[in-house]
Amino acid sequence: MTDAAMKSQVELATTWFLAARTMAVADGNVPKVKEAAAGLYARAILELPEEVCVAAKNQQNIGSLRVEDCLAAVRTLPRPLGEKIMTGVMMIAYANREMHPLEVRWASMLASAIELSEEDFQRCCVGARVIATMLNPSSEDAD
Amino acid sequence: MASRNFGFMERYDQRVSRLADQAERYVYTDPESCLFKLRLMVETMARTLIELQAPQLVDSDLSTMLRALERSQLLSRKHADQMHAIRRDGNSAVHGDPTPSPTAMRRLHDAHRLSGWYCRTVKRGAKVELHAFEPPPRAKDSLKNKAQWAKGEALETSIEEQRRRTREALLLFGEDEDIDAIAGTLIEELRGWDDIAIAAGEPLIDAEFVALVMAMDIEKLLEHPRFGVPSQEAHAQAEAQFDLVRGELEAKEAAYRTQRRNLAQDQAEDA
Repeated sequence: MTDAAMKSQVELATTWFLAARTMAVADGNVPKVKEAAAGLYARAILELPEEVCVAAKNQQNIGSLRVEDCLAAVRTLPRPLGEKIMTGVMMIAYANREMHPLEVRWASMLASAIELSEEDFQRCCVGARVIATMLNPSSEDAD
Repeated sequence: MASRNFGFMERYDQRVSRLADQAERYVYTDPESCLFKLRLMVETMARTLIELQAPQLVDSDLSTMLRALERSQLLSRKHADQMHAIRRDGNSAVHGDPTPSPTAMRRLHDAHRLSGWYCRTVKRGAKVELHAFEPPPRAKDSLKNKAQWAKGEALETSIEEQRRRTREALLLFGEDEDIDAIAGTLIEELRGWDDIAIAAGEPLIDAEFVALVMAMDIEKLLEHPRFGVPSQEAHAQAEAQFDLVRGELEAKEAAYRTQRRNLAQDQAEDA
């Protein structure tokens, strides 16, 4: 992989992990358990290699970034990637089968930054539900 | 004579203590049996803990029990990793993969790290005095044995480093990150944005639609007249992509087993 390609992939991975973290903590329950779904999503759906995912979570890379950096980054993404980020974030929101007001706000901010129409958002939402079931079977027996 | 590493467990759980003791005795002479005993030890620990936490899962397999304990937050990430390492290497041993002794020693050390926490968990308030792990003594080494041991250690270090990177890539937060601090910062910032958005009358996503999708059975969603076809396509595509990654992860584990098997066979031939 060239340096430029690596840089571009690390930027995408950073945007993803920042968006996913924000959704994962938005309901106030910090996930203490292993949350491998976010990483599997990055590897499988965003097609990011292992070293890129590791580099993205390096403190010097992600440590000082904020929610607004994430929003700025998703605005620059090509549309299909933006939709994949939205789908993945909704997948995380579905994990505990309820949505806290701040989770709704974060999803709304992302949808607005990506400029998703209502129909696009609904498509992401349904895709997220399908993937959440595949990655986190426990969400099906959470009741 | 009681084991220096595991003897203290006798007071808390005799069966677990006996399994650890047996594993320790086999570590040099029969590493596969050592791993088999350690796997049984971890399974016994998990069953005891699951009886406290989710008794309906008491007849589940070890992997399911460990995942349930992780979800319930009884099991920390670090302890879960140690238990999974013992489960995985124990499974290999049960299936007949020859194992170098340094592999068994690493898992024995993991079992020791787990033992103090386990005793404190099953007997709340117990003051458990855990000594530093001491490798059990063995007959005097020849130079050849020392070299073989060093090769095994080097292999285990390399496998652990590769597994660590794989795990690090998959987790949402890095192992050294302060998750509470990060969460606090993100939530505070999100609240600030929420206040601004409310004041500006920014629109929200259709939460009713989200709730509807969340509540629907996945089968009904896949058959839905409007969402059915895209859902089925998304399902098939995502499944294929996840299978690729799972295949890659399984191939890595298979490669580790092959490296260990080759080393164990070389050592057996040398002996």
